[in-house]
Amino acid sequence: MENLGSLAVLLAFCLAVYAVIGSVVGRLRRNPFLIVSAERAVYSVWLLITVAAGVLVHALLTSDFRFAYVAQTSNRAMSQSYKFAAWWGGQEGSLLFWSWLLSCYAAVAVWTNRKKVRDAMPYTVAILMTTQTFFLILNAFVVSPFQMLAEDGSIVAVTDGMGLNPLLQYPLMRIHPPILYLGYVGMVVPFAFAIGALITRQPGDRWIHVTRRWSLITWLFQGMGVLLGAAWAYAALGWGGYWAWDPVENASLLPWLSSTAFLHSVMMQEKKGMMKVWNAVLVSASFFLCIFGTLLTRSGIVSSVHAFAQSPIGNYFVAFLAVGVAATTYLILDRLDFLKSESQLESVVSRESSFLFNNLILLASCFAVLWGTLFPVISEYITGEKISLDAPWYNRLMIPIGLFLLFLTGVGPLFAWRRTSLESLRRNFLIPGIAGLLLTAAFFAAGMRNFYALISFGFCLFVALTVVGEFYKGSRAISQKNQMSFARAVVELTHRNTRRYGGYLVHMGIVLMFVGFTGAAFNQDKTAEVKIGDAFQLGHYTLKVREITDGDNENYTWQHAKIDVFKNGEQLDTLEPERQYYKASKQPIGRVDIRRRINEDLYVNFASMGSDESKAVIQAYIFPLVNWIWFGAKVVLFGTLICLIPSKVKLQYARTEVVGIAKKNVPVEA
Amino acid sequence: MLIVLASLLTIGILVFILSVRAKDLPQEPPVSPFAHLDERKASIYENLRDLQFEYRVGKMSDEDYQPAKQDLQKELAQVLAGIDKLKQELGAGVKSVAPAAKRAAKPICPHCGAQFEKVMKFCGECGKKMEAAR
Repeated sequence: MENLGSLAVLLAFCLAVYAVIGSVVGRLRRNPFLIVSAERAVYSVWLLITVAAGVLVHALLTSDFRFAYVAQTSNRAMSQSYKFAAWWGGQEGSLLFWSWLLSCYAAVAVWTNRKKVRDAMPYTVAILMTTQTFFLILNAFVVSPFQMLAEDGSIVAVTDGMGLNPLLQYPLMRIHPPILYLGYVGMVVPFAFAIGALITRQPGDRWIHVTRRWSLITWLFQGMGVLLGAAWAYAALGWGGYWAWDPVENASLLPWLSSTAFLHSVMMQEKKGMMKVWNAVLVSASFFLCIFGTLLTRSGIVSSVHAFAQSPIGNYFVAFLAVGVAATTYLILDRLDFLKSESQLESVVSRESSFLFNNLILLASCFAVLWGTLFPVISEYITGEKISLDAPWYNRLMIPIGLFLLFLTGVGPLFAWRRTSLESLRRNFLIPGIAGLLLTAAFFAAGMRNFYALISFGFCLFVALTVVGEFYKGSRAISQKNQMSFARAVVELTHRNTRRYGGYLVHMGIVLMFVGFTGAAFNQDKTAEVKIGDAFQLGHYTLKVREITDGDNENYTWQHAKIDVFKNGEQLDTLEPERQYYKASKQPIGRVDIRRRINEDLYVNFASMGSDESKAVIQAYIFPLVNWIWFGAKVVLFGTLICLIPSKVKLQYARTEVVGIAKKNVPVEA
Repeated sequence: MLIVLASLLTIGILVFILSVRAKDLPQEPPVSPFAHLDERKASIYENLRDLQFEYRVGKMSDEDYQPAKQDLQKELAQVLAGIDKLKQELGAGVKSVAPAAKRAAKPICPHCGAQFEKVMKFCGECGKKMEAAR
């Protein structure tokens, strides 16, 4: 069975190389047979990697401990769903997962566009399959998941495996990595089409139209992947937070930042024929940052709390990145004449400039995060000492940048295209601006003194009101003109331009998330060493330990605490944090319990047993407004899905288009 | 068993990749030489519609609306002129080279004999499939 897996990967590698050479030679020699043959190789690569992945998953599900990978990442006591999740739980498997997702994307992209952009398609196939070849090199020759355990030249099996890292044995972990990977890998498709268009100097923005949905869906997966990661860190890591500016977290954020910039500036290219160089740079940067993210997560070049797998694959990634970035830079520089802007920026106070600012700020934040993430490597190279930049460094830099971005989110849609007069500014800014200021003043009067929190709440209200205003004004105009109810007019308005109004909903989701982020300014925490019957105070809560029990199952031993929560003498709830010790991997881990409310979360972690065995160390936190983040994420998801629905006007346009004229009218047969 | 399976898989794939026949070549629908200008035109129309809507809902002052509208109209005129120019250039070339070939390329419904200007999947006359007419 293992030989079938290895053979499939090896054959897939050969076919991927064939697809690259075949498509480029086919294009240069204008040989359509060779081009189609190369495209068929893309589908075959998918089939072969699916077979290889099937072999690995089968080995995981049947606990075939002859496989070194299965022995490292799985054990008998794990449930089937975690055994399946072990596919991406370790180095070799996760790189095979990358390859498999890439082959799926490539096959779908080539199939759905097989009759479009024929001129540039061979180059698109070449880019897709070059990336595929790189990952297959890793799968086949560097970190093969099909290595077997052997003793004295014959294959042997261990009785039980080491098990999946306990931190990964958490429900969210079954979906967080695949979702994030779908975002990471998906970026290759817009990139491949962009490069194809650049090489062949396609006129117009066809590559943007072809990849519009890909970019949006990829962006959505990236964003949701990051947030699911944050939700997992919050609930599973027990450190009492959802974001710690850890290198691996940063790695997932970087491509999201650049693809957010791309999604915005692409609109400028479609509407005004501007920012073409930006778009070429941003789509390339997003792709390479995805590869860079994989490098950070998988190579262990920077230490991280969740760089789960470490091995010397870093050099391969660095080589791929260096060649890729150099080739792309050369191509963009060589095609600068083709990327010339069709319009000029006329005024600083215009929609165009707000898009430009938005891009600059997103890129600046991307660069800041990248710098911070790579600083340990750079400092080690220059001074010989590894200096890590901690969370306060990032917060000092990223909070003002984030707030400015939030401000631009509100301001952008209020500016007119080309230039905005004072009169227009007054009309649009008056109500949201004053409301934002009033809220800030009210919070200040109520005793809030945190500068950034005051600004943030003010901006949040400002942006929320601009979004509501957009919906209100548009819907009112439609309801008056067409005599329909206001609610129907809102739906009609959104349906007429789903991209714009879906985008506004996404902005609203971001506002809600910022409210949640701002809550972090008021976090409280306390660590107490307590025995049964003891109570301690955190904010307005009194926490009393009722009982501590222990026990074990096949997979782990556990200690379970029951903590009663009181407020003003009245019992509100009982929280039950647990401490688990995984037998196979010999790792302890805390399972937190959280009382989630719209205004704040009470978060309790059973950290360890105290110096005195009868006492437990309990960490308790109050996280104000943190639930707004998860709610905001759902609004972002909803808004993005709205963006993906075709606009009504365009549908009508397409349906009424005249495609041919018949000689005479005939009745339509039923 | 596994060896047989692996061999079959390999042979099957190689046959699939290497046996491309003429009828397997994808026929890209003809791309109009004006496509990029048409795209630009559609985008200017969309911009005009947006502008008008923003003005109607009271987001823009008259002072902003009028010049923006005029600019867009000017841009549209340029694009339309560009299309006309390209049409003239192409028209001169195409007419002299192959007027007969162009006529012959007109698709005819194999079922009722109706003739059309463009390639269509279904006949506008009898409604039957027109794939064979290509």
